[in-house]
Amino acid sequence: MKVFKAFEYRRGSTILHRIDPRSKLVYLILFTSLTVYFTKPLALLIIFLSFLPMVHVGKISTRWSQSLRGSLFFIVFIFVFNFVPTAYYSGNLFDAAISAIAMSLRFLNLISVFSIFFLTTSPEDLTQSMVQLKIPYDYALTFNMAMRFVPTLSREAQYIMDAQRSRGLEMERGNFVSRIRNYIPVLIPLIISSFRRAELVADAMESRAFGASKKRTSLYVLKMGRGDLLFVSAAIGSALVLFAVNLLL
Amino acid sequence: MIRIEGVTYSYGDGINALDGVDLEVKDSELLAIVGENGAGKTTLVKHLNGLLKPQRGRVIVEGVDTKETTVATLAKKVGLVFQNPDHMLFAETVEKELSFALTNFGLPPEEIAKRVEWALIEFKLSNYRDRSPFTLSGGEKKRVSLASVLCYDPQIIVLDEPTTGQDSLQKTRLASTLANLNRQGKTVIVVTHDIEFVADFIPRVVVMSRGKIIADGPTEEILIRKDVMEASSILPPQLAELSWKMGLNSPSINTDMIVEEIRQMLRGEQK
Repeated sequence: MKVFKAFEYRRGSTILHRIDPRSKLVYLILFTSLTVYFTKPLALLIIFLSFLPMVHVGKISTRWSQSLRGSLFFIVFIFVFNFVPTAYYSGNLFDAAISAIAMSLRFLNLISVFSIFFLTTSPEDLTQSMVQLKIPYDYALTFNMAMRFVPTLSREAQYIMDAQRSRGLEMERGNFVSRIRNYIPVLIPLIISSFRRAELVADAMESRAFGASKKRTSLYVLKMGRGDLLFVSAAIGSALVLFAVNLLL
Repeated sequence: MIRIEGVTYSYGDGINALDGVDLEVKDSELLAIVGENGAGKTTLVKHLNGLLKPQRGRVIVEGVDTKETTVATLAKKVGLVFQNPDHMLFAETVEKELSFALTNFGLPPEEIAKRVEWALIEFKLSNYRDRSPFTLSGGEKKRVSLASVLCYDPQIIVLDEPTTGQDSLQKTRLASTLANLNRQGKTVIVVTHDIEFVADFIPRVVVMSRGKIIADGPTEEILIRKDVMEASSILPPQLAELSWKMGLNSPSINTDMIVEEIRQMLRGEQK
């Protein structure tokens, strides 16, 4: 559940927090694309290292490293499930290891870049930037609310687990199948309460006249500044450098 | 017997949810823990069955340090019922819901059937035996959640906000169930905001504020202390408030005593 926490926005005043979400979106898209495009472990490692200064500037190192620790299980999983079949079919252990490492690094990079983005971007700003990017408000809001309820959901899951463990449920007991079945007493209350909450939110929105007027105006409008220009150019510049490095490797 | 010694716990936000709490609860005591929102009441009771382990200090339940055992083992001794029944209920029928904990603890089927039967009757749920718990009303769900823990007969019973959403009849019933269990030698701990419920039914009260215990003693002595009530932002019992406003010599939370006190005061004024 710590994984979710790592994407939860906390107010901050660093440069990274103040930059327009649209600029950060450019960064996000560029580095996601590079991560997906690169296949050499070394190149992927360089991308990973390039996140360190970002994390430092944004003062999010604790939460970012939490996100990495939380995803350790998945990384091991990805490594094993890439290594074993490749090694088995090709018989070349070295190549299999290289491609499995690349896959794991790729996942690590994706987690990192999304974590950096969401940790420093407030949900309100994100919605606003989506609206200014001409995405219909309903979709922007849906996206925002989905993000908004992730921590709520994880907290709720914790409450439910506490309650069921107090009734003697041992999540870690038994073989693979019975372990999955152990989750039923947690998942059912979680799903039911999510539906109930969705209805409550809908009611609350309607009682506050959601959708009453066709044309919405905003109290705050996002503006791109000189800092944004600098940030976007730096992002594009470093992406080009990384691209060149990848070719040379 | 529960011994809590110098327990400190923080959720990692720089605030101590519990800040050096000492508390001793003897066997077959009936006590209430009260305090403002965020005082640390729920954090404290989560230590009793090992859901949380103290970061400093220790918690000894029936001679066992909670750090050295599992929640599943402790849960047999300490029955913890949480505030929100929606966090608990998941089974297809009320009957299955009640047998969940019993099955987890590995009781034989005849024993399970017997205990489920007891709980259905004790909590007036017999008519709902085959109903889905999700179709019940809020108060009924609350009773199912209580029954689903009490049915496995834990020695120590901890209830987090058991009176929310209950009408006065159900509250009285709950009070008599608790008194009954207590008479059978069970230790009962009630975490609550419902100060009138405490004043009417619970003999000992522990007052918490900002992660600390600020008062602990007989209910009739603690709830008439203005300083304690104010420090913990508790709405005092109406009788205590009446006592203060009338300037009675010996404030009380007992109706008969107040009436007697007022009578004497009026007599004095007539002379």
